[in-house]
Amino acid sequence: MQFHSLTVFDKEKCAHFFEHLTEYFHEHHHSENQDPETYENLLYTVRRPYTPDMLDEIDDWMGIPRRKWREETQREVMLSLYAIRYPDTLLIESLTEKAKSDIKRLSAYLHFTHHTYSIWDEDTRKGLEKLGIMIPPVEHADPFIYGAYVSAIELLKDVAPFTCFLEHDVPRQRLFQSALAAYGRDA
Amino acid sequence: MADTEIVESYSQNFESWINDFSEWQTRIGFDPSWLGDYRFDIKFDWDTAGNEIEFGDFQGMPKWNRRMQIPQQNIMDAIITMVSVQGDTEFASVEQQNHLLASAPTEYDRKSALRIMCEEQRHGWQMAYLLCTFFGEQGVREASKLLERNAQEGTRILGSFNEPIDHWLDFFCFTHFIDRDGKYQLKMLSTSSFKPLAASMGPMLKEESFHLGTGANGLRRIVKQGVIPIALLQKYINKWVSTGLDLFGTDDSTSAQWAYVYGIKGRYDERESDIEADREHLNEASRELYFEELRKEMVRISKSRKEGEPELYIPSDRFKRGIGKYAGQSYTVHGDLFEGSDSEYEEYLSSVLPTDEDEDRLVNEYMKKEWIQYREWKG
Repeated sequence: MQFHSLTVFDKEKCAHFFEHLTEYFHEHHHSENQDPETYENLLYTVRRPYTPDMLDEIDDWMGIPRRKWREETQREVMLSLYAIRYPDTLLIESLTEKAKSDIKRLSAYLHFTHHTYSIWDEDTRKGLEKLGIMIPPVEHADPFIYGAYVSAIELLKDVAPFTCFLEHDVPRQRLFQSALAAYGRDA
Repeated sequence: MADTEIVESYSQNFESWINDFSEWQTRIGFDPSWLGDYRFDIKFDWDTAGNEIEFGDFQGMPKWNRRMQIPQQNIMDAIITMVSVQGDTEFASVEQQNHLLASAPTEYDRKSALRIMCEEQRHGWQMAYLLCTFFGEQGVREASKLLERNAQEGTRILGSFNEPIDHWLDFFCFTHFIDRDGKYQLKMLSTSSFKPLAASMGPMLKEESFHLGTGANGLRRIVKQGVIPIALLQKYINKWVSTGLDLFGTDDSTSAQWAYVYGIKGRYDERESDIEADREHLNEASRELYFEELRKEMVRISKSRKEGEPELYIPSDRFKRGIGKYAGQSYTVHGDLFEGSDSEYEEYLSSVLPTDEDEDRLVNEYMKKEWIQYREWKG
């Protein structure tokens, strides 16, 4: 999947997106429903040792219902957050079905604990699709599909011109993911 | 679209320069093992560099790829000077900052500073590559000098790069104010008529944005923590802004004008601007854009302050200037001409700039506490 997404990458298709990337970023990240202030606070407050309260705060910011997991599931996910090393996503495969059931939730936990992982978002996926990078829509966390999503965003970071790089207090993965989300929504 | 080329093999001139570079690292106390798996790649973004000269008297002609294509010796000399000055600042900043690694407030800050130092060395390495590869004996000599001048001995070309950076507050001010000037210089060279120089700038600018972000976020984290009083912080801002403004060079600069005529250094907004350049006031125009950006950034930084604390501000561009029409004159931080004797002005300066007592309080009192918002290194 990762190999596929990288080989079909069409640079010409990205020209418009790169030219307007900073505007797209502002449109998404600074929108009311993205609550940038809380997002930026979470960059600081989510830190080791991870606690269930931190995961609650992430759930709240994401606007998703708080997880209803058994104690073991929560422990298992927390341990995986300590163990995982960017850009590995295969560790997700070892999680139980309940933990893997929601890619948005799991990707948000990965993002706030590691910053280098991107939040999974349907609009972002559509944004990638408009650039010719086809990532299938999913709800459960498939390590290969999420891996392709993460590496596609990484690839865009690599090939983007310097004008895309804001001196902003958000990780570059968030900069690109937010811009892609706005671009994906843009008809 | 940025398709970055990474150079795989080097000329003999540059290979010997690399040996000198290793000695320089040892001499200044930068342990190469700190680099980890970081590589000093030579990177070119040829697409963004453009093919035609974009401004000046050679506008519309193909950009120069090699020394022999440069039409006049004085143009070549001007390019060599620009590359040398740029390279000089890159190595100078590492000399100024590397001692700070031992006293970083958090692991995040230590790793960020280390990344900045690695990238500054790569930028210097890139400038040395241009000198050694494109400018023959003259270039090789200038590349050697990049490693001979030294910030701690005060022999670097530009004033700000001889200033001591004694602690982390100075580091954050430096990366916010002085690296921001660096961004302006790099962007002005990104449209250069000498294509290898223009093509070097894209990858450098990408890296530079992290340096500026580190400075701005560092200052914001300090303000948010609220341990260092705003009034004291303001004194450090006053100290660094004037030196940043001076880096843009003299008013009515003829060398800036010639650089524009030759097409080797444009305006900061060269590609975005739709008005003719005022060739006699190029430095002033870039400085004004920089100054405006500083003011906007300070509003953002100041928003994090605790309730009841005064707002941080950028001092007047007349204050404490060493270059330009206000140089050597007695202005207040608000831009009013100071009315009083020289000794009264000195006394005034000690109320708006850091004194020895301020330094002592900062380092031995405030910095002994949790003086900056904690941030975890997340790799």
